[in-house]
Amino acid sequence: MNTVLQTKGLCKTYIVNKRQNNVLKNVDLTIYEGEMVAIMGPSGSGKSTLLYCASGMDKVTAGEVIFDGKNISKLRNKAMSRVRLDDMGFIFQQMYMMKNLSILDNIILPAVKSKKNKESRKASAERGRALMKRLGIDDVSTNDINEVSGGQLQRACICRSMINSPKIIFADEPTGSLNRSSSDEVMTELLSLNNDGTTIMCVTHDPKVAAKCSRVLYLVDGNIVGQKELGHFNGGEKETRDRERQLTNWLMEQGW
Amino acid sequence: MFWRILKKDLKRKKTMNVIILLFVIICSTFASASINNIVAVTNGVDHFYEISNVPDIEVNMKEDSEAYNRIAAEPSVTEIKKLDFLMIMSSKSFSLHGEKLDTFINPACLMSDEDMIMNFFDEDNKKITEVEKGKFYSTTVFLDGLDIKKGDEVTIKVENTEITLEYAGYFKGAMLPTSMGSSPYLLINREDYRYLDASPDMHIYDDVVSTDIFFIRTDDLSAVMDILDDYSDVSTYTTEEAKTMYLLDMVTAYILMIVSILLMITAFVVLRFTTGFTISEEFREIGVMKAVGITNPSIRRLYIVKYFAIAIAGAIIGFLISIPLANYMLKTISMNLVLEGGDTTYIGFISTVLVVAIIMLFCYNSTSKIKKLSPIDAVRNGQTGERFKKKSVMHLSRSRGSSTGFLAMNDVASAPKRYIMITVIIALGMLMTSIMASWSRTLRDDKLHPLFSIVESDATMMDTETMGDVIIEDDGYITVLDDIEQLLADNGMPARVAVTMTNSTDATYEGEHLNVLAEFQEGHFDNTFSYDEGTAPSKPDEIAVTSSVMKMLDVDIGDTLSIKLGDEYRSFIITGKYSSFVSPGVRFCDHYDLTDFPKNGCMGIQVKFTDDLTQKQLSDNIEKLKDLFDTNKIYSTSEFISMNTGIGETLESLRVLTLILTVMVTAMVVVLMERSFISREKSEIALMKAVGISNFSIIAQHTIRFVITAVAASFLSFLAVKPLSEFGMNLVCSMIGDVSSVECTYNPFEIYLLQPAILIAATIISAFLTATYTRTIKASDTASIE
Repeated sequence: MNTVLQTKGLCKTYIVNKRQNNVLKNVDLTIYEGEMVAIMGPSGSGKSTLLYCASGMDKVTAGEVIFDGKNISKLRNKAMSRVRLDDMGFIFQQMYMMKNLSILDNIILPAVKSKKNKESRKASAERGRALMKRLGIDDVSTNDINEVSGGQLQRACICRSMINSPKIIFADEPTGSLNRSSSDEVMTELLSLNNDGTTIMCVTHDPKVAAKCSRVLYLVDGNIVGQKELGHFNGGEKETRDRERQLTNWLMEQGW
Repeated sequence: MFWRILKKDLKRKKTMNVIILLFVIICSTFASASINNIVAVTNGVDHFYEISNVPDIEVNMKEDSEAYNRIAAEPSVTEIKKLDFLMIMSSKSFSLHGEKLDTFINPACLMSDEDMIMNFFDEDNKKITEVEKGKFYSTTVFLDGLDIKKGDEVTIKVENTEITLEYAGYFKGAMLPTSMGSSPYLLINREDYRYLDASPDMHIYDDVVSTDIFFIRTDDLSAVMDILDDYSDVSTYTTEEAKTMYLLDMVTAYILMIVSILLMITAFVVLRFTTGFTISEEFREIGVMKAVGITNPSIRRLYIVKYFAIAIAGAIIGFLISIPLANYMLKTISMNLVLEGGDTTYIGFISTVLVVAIIMLFCYNSTSKIKKLSPIDAVRNGQTGERFKKKSVMHLSRSRGSSTGFLAMNDVASAPKRYIMITVIIALGMLMTSIMASWSRTLRDDKLHPLFSIVESDATMMDTETMGDVIIEDDGYITVLDDIEQLLADNGMPARVAVTMTNSTDATYEGEHLNVLAEFQEGHFDNTFSYDEGTAPSKPDEIAVTSSVMKMLDVDIGDTLSIKLGDEYRSFIITGKYSSFVSPGVRFCDHYDLTDFPKNGCMGIQVKFTDDLTQKQLSDNIEKLKDLFDTNKIYSTSEFISMNTGIGETLESLRVLTLILTVMVTAMVVVLMERSFISREKSEIALMKAVGISNFSIIAQHTIRFVITAVAASFLSFLAVKPLSEFGMNLVCSMIGDVSSVECTYNPFEIYLLQPAILIAATIISAFLTATYTRTIKASDTASIE
């Protein structure tokens, strides 16, 4: 399998009130093409920081981030923006969107800004609508962001993350602010994307979400202290229950 | 607790607080200095007139007239004093350091220190009891364009009479003219006066002055006025009317006061925005405070504390700056009157306190939004869910052109109220500078020549000697004009020469009398005067009149008016109505025969070169004329208009000041607003960065939003500048003279290009520089934004 993302000796340090806080300590991580990796750990363990450093959204203090064979940790802001725009997708817990744009416009904004596809705005809109249709939200394309439910909005965020056909999607607690049924809908869509070959790195607190991932990494105090291979998730209630039980036992061993 | 909140808030929003502080400083500086100036001058004039022991009324009438005899017999009149003076027609009769003076235009008046009509004061505000023999004092008008200091000797030479006097300083005299261009007055020793008075050379022009000047003291001014009302050839000037001449000295102060009020309005809008933003940003804290039972007024007080601190700090700084500014503004006027000794700084202080009070009132009003927030806002991210408006009004998928431009335009269209307010602020500034530019240009434009009743020309000669020659000879004006034409032709400047002569005389209709200014266009010219109604007078028995003549005598076109010319009344048919500052005015037909009666004034001698000249050649010809007539008082028509309107140059200076202020205010408003927008849109900016939109694109989007408002403001200003300029100009002109339908002059380059370009550039630069602050927002901030 090809490596999509790799971190070598990744360190991140914050200085608050003249006190040094080492959030990530020499993190080595490799994510392969087509994988769906969950990052778990207690609050304050550095899960989100790892996601932001690995995606180039935050600067690293030391170490390297190699994405698609290139060291992106030393890239200048403009070049890093280009990488994020063309080859990465992002899903956040808070379902951030531009308030002044409709759902469809929010989805196609990265496509319009990207020079990757060199397509017309109309073609981008068509692709946006197709993605919305696939995720079952095509009826809200002209709606404002405050006119749809949380689940619909998060699915719209998934559409936006997919619009430039990224090599990897970073998801930070994608179901964190959703109810159970919306959460299930969103996970179904993420799994579907993963089945189609999209690599996903996902930070989550929820064992039910993590159980559907192919690999789970456990982070404590800025170090990866363990990982659990769960293999490809094929669906079905029984498999879901088995994976959840397996994961829960492992998490308890890790001190969850 | 207040102190803790204040400290925290001041640290958090430094840029916004600094800009609000700047607004308060400018407001209080201008308010304090202008009000201080207006109060000091108004009180100063009263004080000056009181210590000057000014008579109740100045009357221009003949000594042996019926009016004089009736006034002398009026029991309430306690004193009648005639102002004796010697008139020196030309400044060239004066020499300083061996050089003839070519400064003042109107004749100089020499007064004796014997039996002075009122108290006069020297530079040190000491009452002048007598003038040392061989010395003289002058009013400040005499000093205009003159480099003279105490001890310098000035020689006065009229024909064969000569005297040399030492300059003892300037003096201050109530009711004596102070505006530049008016007659200078010189106060000399009684013996020197007698010496000059005894010479016939000093009385050559006595006939030009058809009346004498009397100063009257009375216990019953209305009784005196009732008598004088019966005589249309008598003009009066009461003490109260005389005081209004200092109004011009307060023009700058009044304009500064208006600017200060406009700034306060702008500050109010800005405060409303910033408090609105602050409150909407802090919905959670406010919601929690309400949830635990803190009342609305208590929460509002927390927010007002900050603005109170800023207002106090700004007011103190503004007040301190206003002290030297107020002193500077009083410097010129204190040369013409004795101001009260008392300190008027307290007036400035009161104004400053008022500014603070008004700003606090604004702030309290701006925090009313707190009342609308409820505890539920704390848990629902500021949205109660009860109502929402559709925000997306444009569609990216259907748009063309740059996506950054689309996003900027969509932002503006999604929050129109916010951007309309900024547009209006910028448009107001732009409009103010454009109107001033138009007024200052109009008041110096040669197309205004008909309003001064002079014919179209290239140059106007105001040389007193030549004008004197035109006026005093019965039919001499024809010879003089012909001689000038010949002289010009001999010197390679073929030209036609004309003159407008005036005569103050009586007009009567059905028993009603009115003192009018009759004007006669003589010489060689093309008459290009236009008429508001009717037609130009073309026959010797036809006249045109100004609107006040029609109103006061209740006449109209077609009526017959009797006008006194010389010793007899002649009848004239009114054919038209015209606009003029020379009012109430009566215009006769061109080349009316003036041989039989005296003229007492002329509006200079107009020269129209017959060759087709370039601007450069025209300027060269004017210089040649100056050499030929040995005088500097030869003006292009626009210089003549500018000199007569007087305020064109002041307006031009104020326009530059206003432009600078507008640029500053625009920049401050843009910085403040952009910082507010950035802090409000932090989450969106972080999101855009997270999805890979570059810093440059975000900065460009934020800058373009302000470019859109600045361009909209320019269009708004373009639409309003013409009607507002002409409305204001006509309003002011109609107060000064019988003038209506003045068309303002515009320099399209200045109004439609230069000034908007300056303001748009200021907007772009300040918006761009402020928008670079978005660089500090990181993509990873999406994790920490609520």
